[in-house]
Amino acid sequence: MFKRIKLRIRDIGTINALCSGAEKQAHENGEAFPGAEHFLLAAMALPDGTARRAFERVGADPDTLRAAIAKQYSDALNRMGIDLTAMDTEHHIPEPVTSNRMLYDTKPSGQAVMKALYEQRTENKNIPLLGAHVVAVIASMEQGVAARSLLTMGIDQNALGAAAKQTLNAFSRKQT
Amino acid sequence: MIDITTLPPPDETADALAAVVALRMIADRLERKTVKKAIEKGWTWAQIAEALGITKQAAHKRHAAFLTNKTMMAKPTRNKMADKKQD
Repeated sequence: MFKRIKLRIRDIGTINALCSGAEKQAHENGEAFPGAEHFLLAAMALPDGTARRAFERVGADPDTLRAAIAKQYSDALNRMGIDLTAMDTEHHIPEPVTSNRMLYDTKPSGQAVMKALYEQRTENKNIPLLGAHVVAVIASMEQGVAARSLLTMGIDQNALGAAAKQTLNAFSRKQT
Repeated sequence: MIDITTLPPPDETADALAAVVALRMIADRLERKTVKKAIEKGWTWAQIAEALGITKQAAHKRHAAFLTNKTMMAKPTRNKMADKKQD
């Protein structure tokens, strides 16, 4: 009972780190609100290190995710004949956003991540919320910037989802 | 100018939708930068809203939180007409 309470308190701290981290990632990229891809970047920065481990399990370098997100945008525009790099630097290099919004808000894909995380957390209450939970949720998304970024990295989403679950199981075994 | 023939074929729906998302992101960045500059130059929210084709409330709701206090406090240097003449 006491252990569960401790885990829930730890989860609150993790959710806070995830939300503020995702917002910071979005703002640095010149975007007003965080999407699923920014939650994935924030998960990589969590101190538990499980998100990074899940990526490494499928042979992917977690440090290349940010570049992959940018590449999937430029690839999408290239298919329409628009070369982002040829545009005025003012338009293609993002200017960091500063915000004094009082209420936290995300893009719909960010909301979907948080909702799926909540649902996933009800399945196994014996381990804290970890970065690998975020990876598992995002690996199950079929469309969107995050899914296309993983595709750009050459990652098989099913394999990444399985790797995230293996990482969570390994963490769970260590705890017991 | 974008040649319409270079648009992704309709059967590549996912690619076409990804291009829409990318274009929207570029448009959002451009809108935020331009609104910030307009406020610095002394444009009113009503003028910005009219130029963007949205309501004053919508323009304010969309952008006010992303303007720094410094920008918001910037003293209007000249009005819109004078600005246009100078440009």
